[in-house]
Amino acid sequence: MPPELVALQSFLSIGAVLFGVGLIGFLSRRNMIVMFLSAEMMLQGVSLSLVAWGRYHNDLGGQMLVIFIIAVAACEAAIALALVLMLFERKGNLDIAVWQELRESNQPPFEEDPPESEEAPADWPHLTPSGVLPKSVAEKESYRRKV
Amino acid sequence: MESYIPKLLILIPALPLLAAVVVAMLGKRVLREQSHWPVALALAGSCLASVLLIFAVQEAQKNHQHERVVRLWTWAAVEGQGAGGGEQGASTQYSVLSSPAFRMDIVLRADSLTAIMLGMVTFISTLVVIYASGYMHGDPGYWRFFAYVAFFVFSMTMLVSVSNFVLLYVFWEAVGLCSYLLIGFWFEKPAAAAAGMKAFLVNRVGDFGFALGVFLLWTTFGTLDFHDSKVQTVPVADGHVTTIIHFDPQKVEDPTIPGRVEHGIFGNWRLTKHPFEESSVITAICLLLLVGACGKSAQFPLHVWLPDAMEGPTPVSALIHAATMVTAGVYLVVRCTPLYAASPYAQEVVSALGGFTALLAALIALTQTDLKRILAYSTVSQLGFMFLALGTGSQLGVTAGMFHLFTHAFFKALLFLGAGSVMHAMGGVIDLCQFGGLRRKMPTTHWTFLFGCLALSGIIPFAGFWSKDAILAAVAEKASEAQGSIFGYLYYVATFTAFLTAFYTFRAYFLTFHGAERIPKEAGHHAHESPAAMTGPLVILAIGALAVGAYFQWTGDFLGRKDYPGFLMQTPSLTALQAENVAEGAEHGPSHLAVALISTVAALAGIGLAWLFYIARRDLAESVAKLAKSLGLYALSHGKFFIDEIYMVMIVRPLEALAALLALADRYAIDGLVNAFGAFPRALGAMLRPLQGGLVQYYALVMALGVLALLGTLLW
Repeated sequence: MPPELVALQSFLSIGAVLFGVGLIGFLSRRNMIVMFLSAEMMLQGVSLSLVAWGRYHNDLGGQMLVIFIIAVAACEAAIALALVLMLFERKGNLDIAVWQELRESNQPPFEEDPPESEEAPADWPHLTPSGVLPKSVAEKESYRRKV
Repeated sequence: MESYIPKLLILIPALPLLAAVVVAMLGKRVLREQSHWPVALALAGSCLASVLLIFAVQEAQKNHQHERVVRLWTWAAVEGQGAGGGEQGASTQYSVLSSPAFRMDIVLRADSLTAIMLGMVTFISTLVVIYASGYMHGDPGYWRFFAYVAFFVFSMTMLVSVSNFVLLYVFWEAVGLCSYLLIGFWFEKPAAAAAGMKAFLVNRVGDFGFALGVFLLWTTFGTLDFHDSKVQTVPVADGHVTTIIHFDPQKVEDPTIPGRVEHGIFGNWRLTKHPFEESSVITAICLLLLVGACGKSAQFPLHVWLPDAMEGPTPVSALIHAATMVTAGVYLVVRCTPLYAASPYAQEVVSALGGFTALLAALIALTQTDLKRILAYSTVSQLGFMFLALGTGSQLGVTAGMFHLFTHAFFKALLFLGAGSVMHAMGGVIDLCQFGGLRRKMPTTHWTFLFGCLALSGIIPFAGFWSKDAILAAVAEKASEAQGSIFGYLYYVATFTAFLTAFYTFRAYFLTFHGAERIPKEAGHHAHESPAAMTGPLVILAIGALAVGAYFQWTGDFLGRKDYPGFLMQTPSLTALQAENVAEGAEHGPSHLAVALISTVAALAGIGLAWLFYIARRDLAESVAKLAKSLGLYALSHGKFFIDEIYMVMIVRPLEALAALLALADRYAIDGLVNAFGAFPRALGAMLRPLQGGLVQYYALVMALGVLALLGTLLW
């Protein structure tokens, strides 16, 4: 087996593994940020394969496409994170399952796992408060985002 | 001198139309309680124009121009559809002849018949509008009322002046519409809404017959125009042609003018050169047109709508349902006289129907207690008289029918307006049992009403005497001419009906104005004479009821130049009749006096009987009523011979059942089919709906599996 082919094989394997891990992560995790990361991972797997193929064929097209993909992925990351943030602000929860209500009306909900435990560790270390406690204005409090 | 007939002819309908539009647009917000002004002024203008038109028509007749046709514009022209009875039409009189175009012109005509009708309609309507400005005062729909009335007058004037059967039909329907709107004027009242609907539906039956008659006319004669016309095509530059249509009889018959002659149904050509020949087609046309006339003029069996129409405001009853619109049927028959003249059978039917209706309505009127309803039945009865006269088909008969139409308009409008005045004072109560002895409270109404009653009863010298007498004379003459025919019986029927008419009219009069003074509590403080706007028209009409008959008959003078029959006979469609009668050397002198004597005696007997029953010996009336009740006659008359009930059982109920059946079919069969079309995609959607579970992972999994499947198909 010529060495180029061996190198190609290993690159493609890693790309496939990246893609598979990303896919499984996307399908199995419910945290939106983790899902987003998994999606990014799939993207990187594909990118790696492209670069590998491009190198193998001695063609810059593959690399060019990957740079292009990275640029698009940056935009997509900005949008996706903003979206995640907004969704989080709505429900105070990153679990994608809380958005199940967007299903067709009159369809039963999926069986829900018990929600991921969100209790904060009982005893965070904290500094002793000093100075005057800032005055809280009830009205301003009501404007503040809930989360 | 260029005649001003065309201008007048256009002006007469145009003024009411303008008023109707103005009141309809501005009435609600701007004119409000002043809405009667535009209408009254426009109608007065129309009335003036109508009088001028009568003079102008007489002037034209001196120059032997018996009709004048005015074309406004062409409404429709279809190539290759028409048949005008061209030059070669002499050989086949009734067959449809090839000719290039069917054209429909908006055409008005002026002849004696139209001029008389126009004068009568506009005069009565002007007075009624003045009256209504008092009667309708304070009504929330004040402007609406005057807009409708103005539109009615427009339609009616157009109806009598158009020169085409299709346009006649159009305005026939238009007056029906106005009648519907005005009967149901107080549409919050269920009885009024139902009466309007009834009038409209019953008229539909008649209109259906009329429409069939018009169709048959078209297929028979290939034209629907009344007049002859000549279509001349003149080439202009660039190979185009322009069409000139001549209506002037001289030009139509001038052989030097090239062009295609269309012979109208009542045009000169058919009247003078090729009169209608008796045939079953003509009879069918006549009978179908008679069905239409029966509907509009409330003749048996379609008379049932007219008494119910009294639910409308009283001025409407006076104008539309007594004086003008209901005479449209009579006008139609008179207009079609040449057709009827060709069909003795149809004439007999007209007479028999008229005589029967006259008797039936008079019998019903005997026992009614609603003042307006008595007058309504008397209208039906008097219209029956007119038909009776028209059916005789003689010159005397037709002029008598038209003369009665003319005089009847005056005294019946007077009676209705008088009844309205009583109703106004009694706070809307119109039941004879609830008031009485009003002659001191309402002196003007009393005197004018009395004049109307005398005219209706046919007491010399009131208007009704002359016209009714002429009708009876015509029937008697026909009876003596055609021995053993139906007219012999009809004469007795008519005389008996004249007796009944006098009786029931004076029954109403005595019960209303004589006896002990009784005023219903609804009247409140209203029980006094009506305002001047209402009594003024009453007085004018009372003078008319007294004088028009005598003036036109006795002095032999119709507006200074010709007597009424003489003027009317100048109508082109009646000239054939005249020629025929002159040829026969008809004499109607000898029997005339006897007939007049007998009818006067009958009328006086009726009045005397009414006086005996309702003034002198009330107990006698009671005992006669008791006797009649025991025989069931009273119930028969009071129940209007149960015609409404018979219709209810025989026509309304089966139709309702059919409608219910069809409603079920509609709901379950047709709606079911439509719903099935809707249900199919819904079911499909329901099957696919579980896919939309809302969980993102599920969508992603399906997508991944989809990609796998795609890959699979690509690879293997």
